[in-house]
Amino acid sequence: MELTTSKKGDFTVAAISGRIDTTNYNEFETQIMDIIGKGENNIVLNCENLNYISSSGLRVFLITQKKLMGSKGKLHLCNMQPAIKEIFDISGFSSIFKIFDNEEEALV
Amino acid sequence: MQKHFNIKNNIQQLPLLAEELEKMGEEWELDMPLVTNLNLVLEEAISNIVFYAYDDEREHEINIAAEKNDNKVVITITDDGKPFDPTKKETPDVSLSAEDRQIGGLGIFLIGKIMDTVQYKRENEKNILTLIKLL
Repeated sequence: MELTTSKKGDFTVAAISGRIDTTNYNEFETQIMDIIGKGENNIVLNCENLNYISSSGLRVFLITQKKLMGSKGKLHLCNMQPAIKEIFDISGFSSIFKIFDNEEEALV
Repeated sequence: MQKHFNIKNNIQQLPLLAEELEKMGEEWELDMPLVTNLNLVLEEAISNIVFYAYDDEREHEINIAAEKNDNKVVITITDDGKPFDPTKKETPDVSLSAEDRQIGGLGIFLIGKIMDTVQYKRENEKNILTLIKLL
């Protein structure tokens, strides 16, 4: 798993690549919490190159959402691969998150 | 077609499992999304075993057997941990909003959603979990 961040307008865009599983979800969590800890309140997670996620990774998405809701921030997801979207649908996560087709639409 | 692999009760072995499944997927000509889903299901089941099945500090072996025929893939996971029936676990309410959603409880739920049949039995002091996916 790798996270590449950039600043675009009011948002910090974090592009995730690789796998988020039980062996590395805490790394993902630490990096996301670091971004929030620096005061970034509006985050886009670009999932274009995220090709696997298990429940431990989904948990980090939920924790991030709860945290940003608490600070009136925004968490937008985009470019999700169909297989990952399916897991979000099954988990009921698709209705919890704002999911956009592309990064441009997510930057609002 | 049959395949067997063993992994230790160490979470760092999960990448090995992913490799084995990828090889199996190629040999058995399974779709990539199916291989990914089987990987997910196995990760959820095995991480539960690794985290909760053992109270001792000893090394244990978890046995995975996979079988494919014309219309299904059957995966059997056997461990010698304490009795645990995942089919009896309470399912999370996936219709709740983010505020009300509990962190956790998703792993076993995903197994049940992805697979067509999930069966559990306790035999000879072992947990045997059988997971079936129709093709």
